[in-house]
Amino acid sequence: MNIRRHPLSAALSAVVIAFLWLPLVAVIIGSFDRNALLTTFTGATGHWYDQAVHDPNVRSGFETTLIIAVCSMLLSLVVALSGALWWRRAPRRARAIYDALVYARIVVPEVVFATALFFLFLKVHFALGIPAIIVGHAVLNSAYSTLIIQARLIGTDPALEEAAADLGATPWRVFRRVTLATLMPAIIAAGLLAFTFSLDDVVTSYFLQGTAQSPLPIVLLGMIRFRITPEINAVGVFVMVLTVALMSGAVGVLAGAGRVGRGNRSRRRSRLLGLYQG
Amino acid sequence: MAHHGLALPTVLVTAVCFLAPLALIFVYSFGTDNLVTLNVDFGWTTSNYTAFAQSLYLDTLLRSVALSLGTTAACGVLGLTLAYFISRQGPRTQRLLLAAVIIPFWTSFIVRTYSWVDVLQNDGPLDNLAHTLGLLGPRAHLDLLYTPFSIGIGIVYSYLPLMILPIYVSLERIDPAIYNAGADLGATPWRQFRRLVLPLARPGLIAGSIIVGVPAMGEYVIPEILGGGKTLMVGNIIANQFQETGNYPLGSALAVVLIVALMIVLFFMRRFQISAEVT
Repeated sequence: MNIRRHPLSAALSAVVIAFLWLPLVAVIIGSFDRNALLTTFTGATGHWYDQAVHDPNVRSGFETTLIIAVCSMLLSLVVALSGALWWRRAPRRARAIYDALVYARIVVPEVVFATALFFLFLKVHFALGIPAIIVGHAVLNSAYSTLIIQARLIGTDPALEEAAADLGATPWRVFRRVTLATLMPAIIAAGLLAFTFSLDDVVTSYFLQGTAQSPLPIVLLGMIRFRITPEINAVGVFVMVLTVALMSGAVGVLAGAGRVGRGNRSRRRSRLLGLYQG
Repeated sequence: MAHHGLALPTVLVTAVCFLAPLALIFVYSFGTDNLVTLNVDFGWTTSNYTAFAQSLYLDTLLRSVALSLGTTAACGVLGLTLAYFISRQGPRTQRLLLAAVIIPFWTSFIVRTYSWVDVLQNDGPLDNLAHTLGLLGPRAHLDLLYTPFSIGIGIVYSYLPLMILPIYVSLERIDPAIYNAGADLGATPWRQFRRLVLPLARPGLIAGSIIVGVPAMGEYVIPEILGGGKTLMVGNIIANQFQETGNYPLGSALAVVLIVALMIVLFFMRRFQISAEVT
């Protein structure tokens, strides 16, 4: 019998898909549950969404999260873009060190990084709070952004920039009209990735927040320690919809860019998937 | 060279906010907490490291290693099953199934993790099922929540997509004719799996094991939610030393041990990876 048509493969795969989706379905159903204790489903209501939207804790948590996500995304992009442009023309050994530092920022456990940075800020009396969280997120997320921008740089022909310079474009014009233009899809994707990672971060925010207003994931963490309510489920569904929309946008941008660029289908898809492999 | 100015933001950020804090905890891991002055005395002592002999820390470290290995293995089995299945579908079904794998991964990490509290708690769906099937007495409960098992479930659930995607990438490039050839030549499905699918999926399996096993080892949030506030993994003990106990030298030593352990694992994984690429 050919393994491709073996019934066991399909059956086990269905189980794995169900494993991935059942808890989410439970959260979605729970967000509409009229029964506040979530013991038995007694009917649907939109009340919890209304309550979540008007909860001052959730509101200010969401605002804080957005401020942190936007600022740390911009900082990540500045670091990643300038670094990658340097890396392209750097000597071989300097490149290796740079790559090792990008890799290190991804593999060092976040709890170690966050406690160490918390400790350093404490020692040098740098105030904990929103700016500290922004910097902390940017240190980690710029590493992922760098990987995406580097991948695009490798596929870009430097002759394009040389040609533009030969035709009399000023360096600034070459940068804006050629370098930045070719990198734009990668910059957008890297930015969206950094944004969503910041949106969802718990550990770094938790250690660096100090006495400032907590971002949304920390607010949620505090709420579930108390008791799980339909309101938390409603916030969860809202965040889920927002993240899926943002990430679909990132994938769409990359896929569209891939269609214009060179490279066969499967390589393009592998690169897309590389986005989530970090 | 004006071009080297471009390196400035990266150098600043990594040196000040990444390398300096790690160097700081490395230095502190050799200090002692002075209970009188509340300062740290530097005697270059190794007492923070020998504190591991205390069963609490050693148990936790071993439990973290076991949980990391166990969840990586579980992700490998589940991931290989689904990735193989996806790679053998038509292009449209492939895209649909990949979306089904990725969308749960994009959901809020906190939400994804606490959703298991509902499922695993006593009088939850699993507990009720066990009662309905008559596996448990009327007063007995499964007591699945707030155990290493529930932490393991949480880790597998959160990291599974990170295992599925690289295996899929390895298998997707394979010409399906190779499986037909195996079947035509009379190999049993099990033999086809062992001799064809498994070797072809190997680079993806190794990459996936790195992306799952390494963060799983240092996990903090999942044991915090599904471990019921007990210090069940190294990440939680490190965090406690900095947040509550205030024993910075001990917390630093634990962090250094965790990083060294991960470096050793990564070193061996890289060697595996290189040998897999060669063969």
